Amino acid sequence: MSKGNKLKNSQMLIAILPIVALIVLFIVFCTVVQMNEYRLDMYLKIVFNEAVVLAVVATGAIFIYTLGTFDISLGASTLFAATLGVTVYNKTESLVLMILVLFLAGIVCSLFNSILASIFNIPAFVTTVAMMSVLSAIASQIITTDGGALGGISIPSSVVEPYTGVGFKILLLGLYFGICYFIFQHTKTGRRMKYIGGNPLCAGLTGIKANKYTIIAFVMAGIGVGLGAFLTLTYTPSVTTQTASSIGMNIFIAIVFGGMPISGGPRSKIYAALVGGFSYMLLNDILEILIDSSAAYGITQVISAVFFLAVVYVTSMNYRSQMLPR
Amino acid sequence: MKNRFKKVLSLALAGVMSVSMLAGCGKGDSADGSASKSGKDSVKIGVLVADVSGEEAIGFRNYYEKYIQENYDVTFDYTDALESAEDEKSAIEKFASKGYDAIISLSSSDRAQQIETCEEYGVYYAIASGVLDEEQYETYKGYEHFVGQIGPSNETEFEAGKAMGEHFKSQGVSKVAIYGAFIPNPMHVYRAAGVIAGLGDTYGGTDDMNGMIGQIFGDQAIDLSKIEGDVEVVAYLQGYGDTTTDELNAAIQKAPDAFLSVGMATTFFAQTLSQNDIQFADIDSFTEMNLDSMTNGTLTYLAGKYSSSIGPVFALVMNAVNGNVIRDNDGNAVSLSQGYLVATDVDSFNQYYVTDNGDTPIYDKESLDSIIGDSVTFENIKTLVESK
Amino acid sequence: MSTPKRIIHTLAIPVLVAVVLELLCLTQGQNIITNAKSFDNFVVYTAIVMITTMALSINLNSGRFDFSLGSMAALSSVIGAQITYSLMAGQKGSSFVMLIITLIVGVVLGLISGGIYVILRLPPIITSLGVTLIYEGILYTLTSGKYVMKTVQNNSMSAFVSTWVYAFIIITVVLIFMIVVFEKTTFGYDYLALKSGQKVAINTGIKEVKNALICYGICGGLMGIVGFLNAARNTTINGGQLNFGSIAIMFTAFLPMFIGGYIGGYCNEKVGYLLAAVCMSLLNSTFAVFSNQVTASTQSIINAVLLVVFLIYLNNNNLIKRLFRP
Repeated sequence: MSKGNKLKNSQMLIAILPIVALIVLFIVFCTVVQMNEYRLDMYLKIVFNEAVVLAVVATGAIFIYTLGTFDISLGASTLFAATLGVTVYNKTESLVLMILVLFLAGIVCSLFNSILASIFNIPAFVTTVAMMSVLSAIASQIITTDGGALGGISIPSSVVEPYTGVGFKILLLGLYFGICYFIFQHTKTGRRMKYIGGNPLCAGLTGIKANKYTIIAFVMAGIGVGLGAFLTLTYTPSVTTQTASSIGMNIFIAIVFGGMPISGGPRSKIYAALVGGFSYMLLNDILEILIDSSAAYGITQVISAVFFLAVVYVTSMNYRSQMLPR
Repeated sequence: MKNRFKKVLSLALAGVMSVSMLAGCGKGDSADGSASKSGKDSVKIGVLVADVSGEEAIGFRNYYEKYIQENYDVTFDYTDALESAEDEKSAIEKFASKGYDAIISLSSSDRAQQIETCEEYGVYYAIASGVLDEEQYETYKGYEHFVGQIGPSNETEFEAGKAMGEHFKSQGVSKVAIYGAFIPNPMHVYRAAGVIAGLGDTYGGTDDMNGMIGQIFGDQAIDLSKIEGDVEVVAYLQGYGDTTTDELNAAIQKAPDAFLSVGMATTFFAQTLSQNDIQFADIDSFTEMNLDSMTNGTLTYLAGKYSSSIGPVFALVMNAVNGNVIRDNDGNAVSLSQGYLVATDVDSFNQYYVTDNGDTPIYDKESLDSIIGDSVTFENIKTLVESK
Repeated sequence: MSTPKRIIHTLAIPVLVAVVLELLCLTQGQNIITNAKSFDNFVVYTAIVMITTMALSINLNSGRFDFSLGSMAALSSVIGAQITYSLMAGQKGSSFVMLIITLIVGVVLGLISGGIYVILRLPPIITSLGVTLIYEGILYTLTSGKYVMKTVQNNSMSAFVSTWVYAFIIITVVLIFMIVVFEKTTFGYDYLALKSGQKVAINTGIKEVKNALICYGICGGLMGIVGFLNAARNTTINGGQLNFGSIAIMFTAFLPMFIGGYIGGYCNEKVGYLLAAVCMSLLNSTFAVFSNQVTASTQSIINAVLLVVFLIYLNNNNLIKRLFRP
């Protein structure tokens, strides 16, 4: 085998490593659950419900990350969208209107971020930090005012009852992922986004308008936020101030765990969030079951972080440079 | 490159092997557990918690893990501090899939969701801290797996706050600072309203409980401009965040005669208030740390529960798991209120602390045994709870 | 620019902020700083903000995003508190011993963080995600997720923050240290060279790895001091900050970092950070005055809006000037 072929093979191996990791984690998870004589069917449902919202929101976020920037406010946007959705439902009792508001809120929040970033030339990560504070604060204000003695706001569980099944959620996830995959892999938009992320200067010189694609990327992420908010409500039809609070940062983990470079560009992968999101949740649940002590949550986090770094280290082996990366 | 890849791959495989080995270890543990179950099943109870730091929360945990677990064939499994309704639901689902028999809740992000989830998975459920509001209780009192709630009712919370306010008014204070803890948490709203009423003041022109709490929920805080009366409230703060220390210092600078807290002051402010020689009051629990604050610090009033006050809830759950699901006289889930005990000096504090400490809790094995069993009725439980 | 003009530009923002906030407080019949006690608090908070901002700027200005600042502060202070308490049981002099131990632990944590970065050669944003999770996990394991109280609640700690003198000394020492190290040493020259042109700097023989490690070490040491000051000021340390619960501290330093950078255009950059910290401390004291009217949610919104507005001004400075030019 020639040296070139060997290199190609090893690159391919590394590229599929996140998927291999997901499969291995899944097998280990099933083994661990079975060995402890826990209910595997129930535990699988738990992992799915934990991961699906993250996977959906993070898949939308891939478009933003591909451009070489990131959005830290997506968790807060999900909370904000869910809050507005519940408020609208409680005022109108219309499920259609609620769903419309969920998506609209997600898209508007995202658009606002992109406008601040592209029109006012503010670094996207700073605008999203600011938006995170604003959206969480507004949502908290609404929740605590309307929630009163209950501490949260909710819609009747019967409203979302028809949509709580895993099958329906898989369908939604598949549909959204399919659309994202098509745009990302098979359209000019997706290709140009990767180009901008890889080399913004050259992209600009070839006439590609970065602002336009920034807005499209944020809109796609906004749709993910809307869908994520809907899926959150199908799991628990109530919203508290801490709803979806961990999503914002877990998106980073999911995307990187899935084998995508945080710098975006041509090596971006649309499936990274899906693979990474489920892998990370499986890993956490495996460790949670295995480690049984009063400090288990801390130890679990340490081990999963080490595992995270190890996986990212392996998957990025082909892209090491002489200089320290920034 | 190739060698390095091999090296890393071997490391990764070693990692996977280690996880698998850990899985093996897990099995060993479980196998032991299962062996003991095959004789007579040990009862497994999951405990939902939102606070892992407060003196009250620590006292409760010690009672369950160090006393009850020692004296009964039961295992308590505590969650991490749960932050949201999703966290609570996920925790219940995990307990259910592990085959747990019951859930005791000390977390209140979404109680309705908790009850519905337990009902869905057929796991018994009881509330040990805070209570459902009337509307929620009416909705869920007939649920098969909701065994009940035993703890201070909202009215009791109001009365506890009121007693604190009255105590300090009788001491002749003319200006106070109030810490509203985590308003709009209902129990803190009721307590804070009580404090204002106890001081003889009005809030928004009323000293009626419902009138006051309605306004406080709306304001999401205590609006000082709405307080009128002889005792001046010179400062108010709530929550715990970046500006809390500044707010506390601002309050101290107004030189209040007393600092009245409706929860958690003993955790957050004991040192600073003692340092500034400001007497303070709190609604918490009779624990070692609070005894220290009363002995060496400026804590002069503590309305508290026994750490073992969550004993009767355990009894309710044990009965349900053993097949005796106790219902009240109307056939509904049990709902009993517990009162607060008040210590205003080291002696009275010691009286409650010593009698409810370590191996000799108020709800000790003997008294709990009297309400655990096939023939135990609602009246037995009610009588015992009301006697303590 | 002439010296008087520089002085005017340097002091313009702090003076304007002080005047506006004082006028606001006067509407309530109060002052920002009412007495000696509030001055003590003001200086202590200024020290915390200034040091955090400097720590953030060291790596961020070099394009290294570091999420682990908050976790380093919390973990170093918990370790420092536990070691100090085991040695001195809260006796006289505890605070000084804790300050030194926390500082050393902070440096070690910083070096570990930097070590992971230079060994794995992953983008710093990724390694900092892993490091944050690891430090938070260790923090949780050490504290069982509880607030640490006993080890930091003693007269020595209270005395440390009950006077402005110690905080002032810390501000002075840190300021001089930062100016000397970053502007008068070979390390500082190398740092600036690497910041401005990484590739060229490396080609000239600058040891990037060594420089990066020192940066992380200093950053850790600074966050150790912040951890100590926070522990003394709050009389508690929150040990339950899992799943990125510790990163908020970093976001609060964004606004002073940008303001400080702007002021630094007219004077020494580090002095700029000090003046920006003074502004933030004034704002914080004003929030305390208005605490009954301005909720925590509103404070978040105000901070975020200020950040965005300031950045819009900063990044569109020329455009705004053109608009208002006759």
